[in-house]
Amino acid sequence: MHDAQTKLRETAKDLLVSAKVDLVLGFQNGSLPLRTRPCFARNAADAGRLVWNRLCTNNLAVYLPRLFEKPANVRGPWTPPKVAVVAKGCDARSIMGLVKEHQVIRENVVIIAMPCQGMISLRKAEAAGASARTSKLDGDDLVAQACLECIQPSVPGANIIIDGPSRSAASDRFQRVKDFEALTAAERWQQFVAQVSKCIRCYACRQACPNCYCKTCFIDQTKPSWAGVGDDPTDLLLFHIGRVFHQAGRCVECDACVRACPVGIDLRLFTQKLVKDVEELFGYVPGTSLEEAPPLSTYRPDDSECFITDP
Amino acid sequence: MTLGAIKKEHLGQLVAAVGAHGGFYGPVLRDNDVCLDQVQPSDTLVLDYANFTLPPKGLFFPRSEVIATHGADGMVETPLPTGKAVLFGVRPCDAMSLTYLDKVFMEAQFADPYYRARRERTLTIALACRDPAATCFCTSVAGSPSGQGGADILAVDIGDALVLESATPAGEAFLAEYRKLLGRPSDNQVKARDAQVAQAVRKVSSIGSDGVTARLQASSESAAWEELAERCLGCGVCTFLCPTCHCFGLYDEEVGPQGRRVRAQDACVFPAFTLEASGHNPRTRQGLRMRHRVMHKFCYTAQSFGDIFCVGCGRCIVNCPANMDIRETLTEVPP
Amino acid sequence: MADTTEMNETAIGTQPPPAWEPRIVAFLCNWCSYAGADLAGVSRLQYPAHVRVIRVPCSGRVNPLYIVKALQLGVDGVLVSGCHPGDCHYISGNLIARRKFALLKSFLEYLGVEPGRVQFSWVSASEGNRFADLVKKISADIRKLGPARQMKKEAR
Repeated sequence: MHDAQTKLRETAKDLLVSAKVDLVLGFQNGSLPLRTRPCFARNAADAGRLVWNRLCTNNLAVYLPRLFEKPANVRGPWTPPKVAVVAKGCDARSIMGLVKEHQVIRENVVIIAMPCQGMISLRKAEAAGASARTSKLDGDDLVAQACLECIQPSVPGANIIIDGPSRSAASDRFQRVKDFEALTAAERWQQFVAQVSKCIRCYACRQACPNCYCKTCFIDQTKPSWAGVGDDPTDLLLFHIGRVFHQAGRCVECDACVRACPVGIDLRLFTQKLVKDVEELFGYVPGTSLEEAPPLSTYRPDDSECFITDP
Repeated sequence: MTLGAIKKEHLGQLVAAVGAHGGFYGPVLRDNDVCLDQVQPSDTLVLDYANFTLPPKGLFFPRSEVIATHGADGMVETPLPTGKAVLFGVRPCDAMSLTYLDKVFMEAQFADPYYRARRERTLTIALACRDPAATCFCTSVAGSPSGQGGADILAVDIGDALVLESATPAGEAFLAEYRKLLGRPSDNQVKARDAQVAQAVRKVSSIGSDGVTARLQASSESAAWEELAERCLGCGVCTFLCPTCHCFGLYDEEVGPQGRRVRAQDACVFPAFTLEASGHNPRTRQGLRMRHRVMHKFCYTAQSFGDIFCVGCGRCIVNCPANMDIRETLTEVPP
Repeated sequence: MADTTEMNETAIGTQPPPAWEPRIVAFLCNWCSYAGADLAGVSRLQYPAHVRVIRVPCSGRVNPLYIVKALQLGVDGVLVSGCHPGDCHYISGNLIARRKFALLKSFLEYLGVEPGRVQFSWVSASEGNRFADLVKKISADIRKLGPARQMKKEAR
């Protein structure tokens, strides 16, 4: 792990000093125990602050669309920046998705592939208490559920690969979805409503998600508006159904929404259902290739019709 | 000033006694999380928590509320809450935040009837901190882990019992009313309390925020705001979890045959907050929005209300998904 | 006066009248299903008067949020119908929609929305009979389920 960090710093420094990139998006130490924070490295000194460990949780792809957007105060021609991104498997899959959706210019992004052993879940660490925090950082005890179920710890489309110990891909990742499916409809609805009712509408789930780059989110639209502004349960349901469904065929299971939620809504239980359906119905896994068309903008003549009502 | 004491195992009796006359709100477990809620007979009060994720402002100034409906019968205003309530277990920082909200909603030119009704019916018992969190900085913003500001009674946990001290006439009356349950503390208990208060204050680190108002004012044109905001994701965690953030909007919505006027908390970190009807937005960048939020708390309120509207609870630090840290913002933004 | 009350009670989003009858919103594509419904009408076929038709250019135009929003507004059921696969006026609009609806139906049912509240079908311009039968079936389904409460935003 430490070797990877040293190599990362050297690589980032080279990229910046040789002006191959304008910016390296990575991680630096945060202000709290068990926290890192996004680092916007622009020079050799910044590159020296980069870290790589099991606390580098954030999905940095979220910052890319705005970097490739021409700033409002620039008149005339504008050259988009060249950006290197320190990426885990999930982050790189997000970048692939953004390239596919024309939010990111592939040629301007250098993906630095990092070895990923799974990221520590802050919630699990807090629940385990202070004593466990230092002793268990190496094993899988405190690793986030999403990482335990990760199918692609290796980085797709990498430009630079930094070696190191990495976890192997999980095989069956939908156990929780299957368990939920096994409940009765009334039980499922009750659990969904209970989760969503906690929502304070801070939109951290949306803001932390690389896929949520819409200029105006449907929930913020006013002419006409989709939902009320308050915490009427049906407005919360509408927001979450809308937000999660917009991830269909796009979610890479990076867990950013779950980590960002301050009230601990189990969003993954719902996003993962769509991941599972997209995989089963259309054989599509988001972010793994640039060639395959997004599943909801294409079709096959023999797509499933089992949901159609015949009189 | 009156003193009282109660063994922890007798707290349930107090809850029941108070509950007979009105609502008792306190720290209880909900979905494995300690939060402030109306205590039900099946609940046990939890006493070992750093603080709640959600600040108590929601009890007085909810995330959203329907303030009036209109339909065939014309406009019907939502009746104001009545009856007494006791709020137990807020931390001193959060109790302090209520005094700031009072300045906005009760003491300014126009009082907010909904906020005022809820505040006036509520007796607040703050619970002093034993183990302030690493993110606490109340002592740097005119607070203390055992401060009495905003509380009618301050309770101090001395292990097996709580020692209570009244801070207002209402608190005194409460102690007198429940004297049977809240006996007088022994000398040893008072000593234990004093020791507890003294050790807790030493655990809160100072962030060196002296002169912050003037410093921030001088920094309003600094490029540092844009650099700082670079990693901000633009969510509303810091504002909605802040015990003193109090911006709201009024909205009319239609529900079937009924019209509703809804008052909902809003957040200045959202672009839509300043979006004008013409389509123009004066705060186009996250840096401007972040600057506004920080300046509002540390400069504008200092000018208009004489107080910095930050109580040092650390919620914005703990919960920020990008690890933005207000302590750094305050000390590092150069003029 | 009596007339306006009746109108209010049957409009979308109002309280169900004392004797409850299902209210179903049908999003019908302009080219096939709407014409199919029209044919059912001019052929004088009898079917329950529970559907309120919203004509859309193509089943592909139906945003999943329309469906969820309709449920929030208090309808008891939603039907979306377009051209049979291969017949789309825009070549592939219904095929793209088919993927979206397959996911949406499965997702809503996963969340616990009562199966049967939201249904999808194909009706061509010549299938007046099929449209009438479809509405009969869906009406019966919704009647069995009773008034929709799960997603409905209630007046206070």
